[in-house]
Amino acid sequence: MTVEVLRPAAITPRAGLVRRFRRSVLSDPLALTGLIVIGLLVVLAVLGPWIAPYPDQGEGQSNVPARMLAPSLEHPFGTDGLGRDMLSRVIFGARPALAVSLLVVGLAILIGVPLGALAGYRRGRLDAVIMRITDLFLAFPPLLLAMAIVAALGPGLEHAALALAISWWPWYARLARGTALSLRERAFVEAARSMGVGDLAILRRHVVPNSLAPILVQATIDIGTVILAAGSLAFLGLGASPPAPDWGLMVADGRTFILDQWWLSAFPGLAIFVAVLAFNLVGDLLLDLLDPRGTR
Amino acid sequence: MTRFLLHRLAGSAIVLLGLSVITFALARVVPSNPAAVYIGPKARPEDIERVARELGLDQPLPIQYLTYMRDMLTGDWGISIGTKRPVLDEIIVRLPATLELIFAAMVLAIPAGILLGVLSARWQHRPPDLAVRLISIVGVSLPAFWLGLLLQVLFFRTLHLLPLTGRVDPDLRFTAPIADLTGFHMLDTLVTGNWVAMQDVALHLVLPALTLAAYPIGLIARMTRASMLEALGQDYVRAARAAGIADRLIIYRLALKNALIPVTTVVGLTLAYSLTGTFFVEVVYSWPGLGTFAVKGLLNLDYPVVMGITLFGATGYVVINLAVDLAQSWLDPRTRLVA
Repeated sequence: MTVEVLRPAAITPRAGLVRRFRRSVLSDPLALTGLIVIGLLVVLAVLGPWIAPYPDQGEGQSNVPARMLAPSLEHPFGTDGLGRDMLSRVIFGARPALAVSLLVVGLAILIGVPLGALAGYRRGRLDAVIMRITDLFLAFPPLLLAMAIVAALGPGLEHAALALAISWWPWYARLARGTALSLRERAFVEAARSMGVGDLAILRRHVVPNSLAPILVQATIDIGTVILAAGSLAFLGLGASPPAPDWGLMVADGRTFILDQWWLSAFPGLAIFVAVLAFNLVGDLLLDLLDPRGTR
Repeated sequence: MTRFLLHRLAGSAIVLLGLSVITFALARVVPSNPAAVYIGPKARPEDIERVARELGLDQPLPIQYLTYMRDMLTGDWGISIGTKRPVLDEIIVRLPATLELIFAAMVLAIPAGILLGVLSARWQHRPPDLAVRLISIVGVSLPAFWLGLLLQVLFFRTLHLLPLTGRVDPDLRFTAPIADLTGFHMLDTLVTGNWVAMQDVALHLVLPALTLAAYPIGLIARMTRASMLEALGQDYVRAARAAGIADRLIIYRLALKNALIPVTTVVGLTLAYSLTGTFFVEVVYSWPGLGTFAVKGLLNLDYPVVMGITLFGATGYVVINLAVDLAQSWLDPRTRLVA
């Protein structure tokens, strides 16, 4: 949501940002914690089936005799209504959560950045048209457009991801436009133009690569936000369907038992919260580095 | 100012027109068989045919759009498949419950967020600042539906302090019935002096409002901090400091007043967040408002309801943005730029 206030003046070469991030993350306990948690999430997403104590149950295999067990040493997160180990389920949930989020953010960047860069670089009527369209998409309250799209396409994980990407790309278009606007006046871009390099080549070689820093920062924050958004859609029943190990779906499934078997909803929800928090902690530091005046 | 007002009004009108095109496209162009979608999953073929005729699906798209717009503007938003009643009526009946909840959440979030932001800016880079930074990031990271469930376990099951769900204890219908004047229970009980019911209504509001307020508190605290820091760096603050005016006076009288202008934007943003945030909160607390209605519509593929809610929510968002812009230009003439 903070995209539009990022100042174009804050452009820094990508390498510089990475170097400054490496230096300052060690002295920022919050961001460091976030970074470590993100690392753990990635490990769980990649190696989940080898780490989970009951991999077959993580995938959905039921074990009815052990149903609704409270957290214990054997099942630290308890078991669900089908006797599945909740810890394994939550670990298995890391992969789809990260995958969907990367997919949504990736799609949003793929749609938004070229459009935004083109708008900012070309200016004129094309710019006006593209920006009016992004304004329209941004005129919906958060998630409402995504919900309506899922309703039109029918519920399901793929449709939820597509719907989120469609409602997310305008942020990237705006961001890319801002940086492109300031880049087009820079000497190296003008030099390329005066040498007769085509617009598309300039966009590809100069404008887009130099807009990457703010876009990557936004992407980091958005991966967390999309995990939350996808979890929210799944909680309502608009995302993944059983027996997928989806965190939002697990929270919804456990809802009816919340007063007695609280662990059914508590742990998957905790997973969403921790994942989103981690990305936001890192993103907060990145925003600070991008715009040190704190004027965002 | 008049010119700015006209400019913004025209802009909002154009956006509303665009929104109607998008919702129209979602209703009629995206689904492969709009009539089947419109009438719901259990439709018989002859019903689908009838609805296709009624919706004028055999007409060219521009004609269909004009008909759709005419219906929307004349208040014909279709009939809900679930309740068999006009969608617009259903929305209006449930609106007060949702607005009451959003209002309660704002009453919590705005002062709390501003206070946290001021504290944070005053003690920049010191422990209070770090604590507020953490609180605000936690606030924007918490899934509302999960927070709601946790609060229910804590305050209902463990502490026995607050009711679990609903807007009012159903038994009150017999002992202290709430007069239906405005639909806002707090207001209705206040006007009629129904203190028993008022207390019950207030207790029912606490948890949902708290849940809905978590995200706005984080957002407002963050924005207040940034704009306070900017204000504190201004020359007039430095001059006041040099003149020996007490810190407390500088912060609350001088800087805060100016820092609050950009905060109005965030208040608008959080209102917009609440429009959909309330969906999740209402589902968790079985709150009889727009959110539960919308979610039921989404899940039952009650298409007229989905489209009605989408258009209604988007229109609300446009109006909020317009109000924020106008408030801001009234407070700060520098923002009255006509591009």
